[in-house]
Amino acid sequence: MVETGKFIEEAVAEIRDEVGDEHAIIALSGGVDSSVAAALAYKAIGDQLTPVYVDTGLMRKGETAQIRETFAYMSSLEVVEAEDRFLDALSGVTDPEEKRAVIGEQFIREFEREAKETDADYLVQGTIYPDRIESEGGIKSHHNVGGLPDVVDFEGIVEPVRDLYKDEVRDVARALGLEDIVAERMPFPGPGLAVRVVGEVTREKAQVVREACHVVEEELEEYDPWQAFAAVVGKGTGVKGDNRVHGWIVAVRSVESRDGMTARAQELDWETLQRIQSRITGQNENVARVVYDVTHKPPATIEYE
Amino acid sequence: MTKILVVDNHGQFTHLEHRALRDMGIETDLIDNDTPPEDIDADGLVLSGGPSMDDIGNCAEYLELDVPVLGICLGMQVMAHVLDGEVGGGEYGGYADVTVEITEEDDPLIGSLAPETRVWASHADEVKQVPSGFERTGTSDVCGIEAMSDTDRDLYGVQWHPEVAHTAEGEEVFENFRSVCE
Repeated sequence: MVETGKFIEEAVAEIRDEVGDEHAIIALSGGVDSSVAAALAYKAIGDQLTPVYVDTGLMRKGETAQIRETFAYMSSLEVVEAEDRFLDALSGVTDPEEKRAVIGEQFIREFEREAKETDADYLVQGTIYPDRIESEGGIKSHHNVGGLPDVVDFEGIVEPVRDLYKDEVRDVARALGLEDIVAERMPFPGPGLAVRVVGEVTREKAQVVREACHVVEEELEEYDPWQAFAAVVGKGTGVKGDNRVHGWIVAVRSVESRDGMTARAQELDWETLQRIQSRITGQNENVARVVYDVTHKPPATIEYE
Repeated sequence: MTKILVVDNHGQFTHLEHRALRDMGIETDLIDNDTPPEDIDADGLVLSGGPSMDDIGNCAEYLELDVPVLGICLGMQVMAHVLDGEVGGGEYGGYADVTVEITEEDDPLIGSLAPETRVWASHADEVKQVPSGFERTGTSDVCGIEAMSDTDRDLYGVQWHPEVAHTAEGEEVFENFRSVCE
C-alpha cells in the first residue's frame, strides 16, 4: 500500500519542479482520480493551475452542482456547460469504441479552447495504473490517455498518480482531506453515462440512466458496493395501467472489488431488488423492466461498454 | 533480499503480480518478454498471463536459466507449449470463481492449500498434457490440469490467477514460490 504522507510530499515536489512558474491545466471529471490529481497540483502551484470541469450531459445526478461546491476553494475553477454539443455529436453513433472516440474528440475540442484561453504550458492528468494497462493491452481505450497532447502543444504532461491503484488513490484522497464524498465516491468512467447506455445515446436514454443510477446508488448504500449503477441495455415489452408499453430495459449492477481488476457480483436480497425495480419503473414511465446482472469479472467487465 | 522478476506477456493482471510481490517485501521489477536472457539477474521469475502464444518473446529461453519459474495462465501454457506438453482449447471456458482440488499434497507451490482452494480464473485455452518431468498438482470441474510442477527443475505452473484479490489464498502461493527461490 502507498504511504500517503510521503507520497503527497513527493508528488507535490515533483509537480512544483516540473511546472515551475508556468501555467498548468487539468480536466476535472468529478471522479476520484482527477480530483486527487487536481488537489495535489493545486497544493503545489495554487492558481497557476486552472481546473476545467466540462458538463458533458453524461454526468450523474447532481454531480455538476457538487463539483462546484467541493472545488469552490480553487478560485481558478472553470465550469463549461457543453451538454448540447456532446449529445448532438453522439447522435446516430452506436459502436462502443466510436462512442468513446466521439466523446474524446468533443472533449478535446472543449479543452483545447480552454487551454488556449488560459495559455497553459502543462497538462496535468489523473491517469492511474490500470488505465495504462487496459489501454496498452487493447481491452478498452481510456480518454484520459492520449488524444489531448496531439492537438495542444503542451510543454509537458504531469501525471502525479500514474503508479497508483484505485484503492491507493482513495487513501491519498482521504489523506488530502478531500470531502468524504470524493474519497469514498464510486468509480465513474471517463465517458460518463454514455457507457451505461448500450447503443446510441439519446437525451431520453441519458435521462433514464441518470435517474436509475441515482436510485441504485441510494438503495445499495448499505451494501457498501465497490461500484453500483444502472444501464439501459435495450427495449422490451411491458404493461402499465392496462396499456402495452415498449419500454427500456434497465440492468442493475453491483459489484465488490479491491482494484477493479476482478469483481464479484454482489448477492442482494429480494426486497432490496424489488424496491429498486419498483422505484425505477414507477418513476420512469418509459421503463418496461428491470433486471439484475449476476456476472462476475471476468468474463464480463464491470461497465457495459 | 530475494529478487523475483515478472516477465510481461501483456496480460491484464501482470501489474498485480508485480504488486503482490512488492507488497510482500520482495525485490521485484517488471521486464519485457523480449529482454535478452543473459541480462536477467534474479532468484526467480514469474511468467505472466497474456492474450496470445504468438507473443511470448523469449519465454522459452527463460526456462533454461536454471532459476525457479512460476508460469501463470498463459505463462503455464508456455511451459507445456515449448517443452513437450500440449495446449488446446478448453471445452468450457474457465472464468471467475473456480474451486481447485489439490492433487499433490507435497507440492512445494500449492500443496499447502490442500485439499482445495477457491481461485479466480480467466482462460479459454488450457494444458491438455503436461510435459515430461511434470506432474499435475491441481484439477477442477472446468479444467483437467489447473496446476503442474516439475520439482527437479523448479518449474511451476498455475492456470488461474494467484495475484488477483478474489483468489482466496493467492498470497500463500507467492509465499511458497518465494521459499522455492530462497
